[in-house]
Amino acid sequence: MQPEGISVPAQAYHRPQHRLMNVLKKNVGFFFILPALLLFLIFGLYTVIFAVVLSFFRWNGFGDFSIFPPRCELPECAFVGLENFQNFLYDNPVQSQFFWRALQNNIIMAIAVTLGTILIALPLALALNRAVRGQSIYRTLMLLPMVTAGIAVFYVWSFIYEPDGSLNAILEAVGLEALQARQGWLGQPNTALGALIVVMIWGSVPFAMILYLAGLQTIDRDLFEAAAIDGANGFQVVWNIVWPLLRPITVIIVITNFNSVIQGYEQVYLMTNGGPAGYTEVVGLQIFNYGFGDQRQLGMASAMSWTLFVLAFAVALINLRFFRSQT
Amino acid sequence: MAFVRKYLPSQLIYYVVLTLYAALSVYPFLWMVSSSLKSNREVYRNKSLIPDELRLDILVDTWNELEFFRYFVNSAIISLATVLGIILIYSLAGYGFAKTQFWGRDKFFLFFLAVLLVPGVAVLIPLVQLVRALGLTGSNANQFSTYLALILPMVNGAGPFAIFFFRNFFRSLPNELKDAARVDGCSEWGIYFRIYLPLSTPVIATVGILNLIASWNAYILPSILINNDDWFTLPLKLRDLDLQAVIQWNVRMAGSVIMVVPIIILFILLQRYYIRGLTAGATKG
Repeated sequence: MQPEGISVPAQAYHRPQHRLMNVLKKNVGFFFILPALLLFLIFGLYTVIFAVVLSFFRWNGFGDFSIFPPRCELPECAFVGLENFQNFLYDNPVQSQFFWRALQNNIIMAIAVTLGTILIALPLALALNRAVRGQSIYRTLMLLPMVTAGIAVFYVWSFIYEPDGSLNAILEAVGLEALQARQGWLGQPNTALGALIVVMIWGSVPFAMILYLAGLQTIDRDLFEAAAIDGANGFQVVWNIVWPLLRPITVIIVITNFNSVIQGYEQVYLMTNGGPAGYTEVVGLQIFNYGFGDQRQLGMASAMSWTLFVLAFAVALINLRFFRSQT
Repeated sequence: MAFVRKYLPSQLIYYVVLTLYAALSVYPFLWMVSSSLKSNREVYRNKSLIPDELRLDILVDTWNELEFFRYFVNSAIISLATVLGIILIYSLAGYGFAKTQFWGRDKFFLFFLAVLLVPGVAVLIPLVQLVRALGLTGSNANQFSTYLALILPMVNGAGPFAIFFFRNFFRSLPNELKDAARVDGCSEWGIYFRIYLPLSTPVIATVGILNLIASWNAYILPSILINNDDWFTLPLKLRDLDLQAVIQWNVRMAGSVIMVVPIIILFILLQRYYIRGLTAGATKG
């Protein structure tokens, strides 16, 4: 088939070969992952090791710190063992209070966003799957938030939430002035976190919806008709047929959403920067401020970020367990 | 016909739900476009999406005088190079994990996946040190001087997810293709480049679009690595507008439109392939 293939004499494969050549031949697949591995060793593994080591040091970003060769000079840098972890977990009253509050916000956000996304995306996917006409137009329009969710749209939402922004105007127009947030939805302690969560859900629904839709289209139509003949109503069909069959997709959605909210802070940084008065503070933002803010504590920043890793890892593990035991 | 009559009312509900949610999905974008065509005062005064007076000059001035064309080019170079790198490197890796044998294959794969859970913010500090140590910054260590300093970490950051997608896709293709080609004397590289790669356009579209969106919208990493105005990307320039004393909402939205419209057009053009690849990647995993 291939010219260069034909030119290789058949007996070439039967010639006794050098042992090294044999090893290379057996592991030829390794060369396919080599570029990825090299990039990973430099920009992945090295930085992760750096971050692990750094979490046991106190360093303000000035002076010298490096792990290869190992270098750390007083007074800017010092080995402190577990002190960073102790400080933000319980020892330092201010730091630990801020940390636990941020972690609490993280967890509230992660649960709310994951639940909200599933509760909105699944019905939308069901409706989209049933809508015979205009399916592709609806789908295109509803996928837009996925494309635009970045700094530009965060600004639009900031305006919608302003004291004289669109949301308050709409509430006034329908006679619900009582529900208005007079200092702006992002400016009031009681609404800021919820307002952020709404934007996060808005941004993550499209991806979940398209995954659910893909899953729905693989379900055999006969199942629905059989259920209809047996007199099952819509909810029974969804609960007993659709939901169990879509569980693998739900697991993917839960893991990716939980992970991205736990790790994410860009949207919070751009929309509220943790305000008002720390009510929307998240751990990622604190780490970012320890790392790049005015008062740098790089060791502390590193130590804190490993709590996020542990959390994300635990959630992924629980999910996969749950998934495996159910199928 | 009984079937139709039974389901007709619920059909109507579907369309109502879909229309409402589609409106909610599109509204922020429409508001963005409409505000970029209003005067700043009108943005506050007129809540309607239709401007009283069309002000096309704001978009034009933003493009020319605020030099958004330059940031547009910066963004385009960085995003396209990142996406190209991701597709080249991780389609190879995904194929390696799916269709070839080598020592420690599955361990390597799990290793890559676990990295997905390492928070990006954890490696920001080491990245800055690394980029300096590798000499990817200019003579002044705080000056960003090469796109590579941004592109390489962004490519690597997309790695685990891209490998996962490519691997799943290649696994769904039959092994017989490979065996037949080998019998015909095709080399391992030939099998990949001439047979499997051409079959993988849907997954290339999916991974490409997802990462194009991500790198086009990326804010945090560029904001740390780039501190020279000439090298700004669109998101950085948008943020930079905040430093002005009074926020000009119309100018801000004009910049946003410049940033968002190209990627929307690309997405609409490619969404068919994107969805096909996503379906294959997600349901056959």
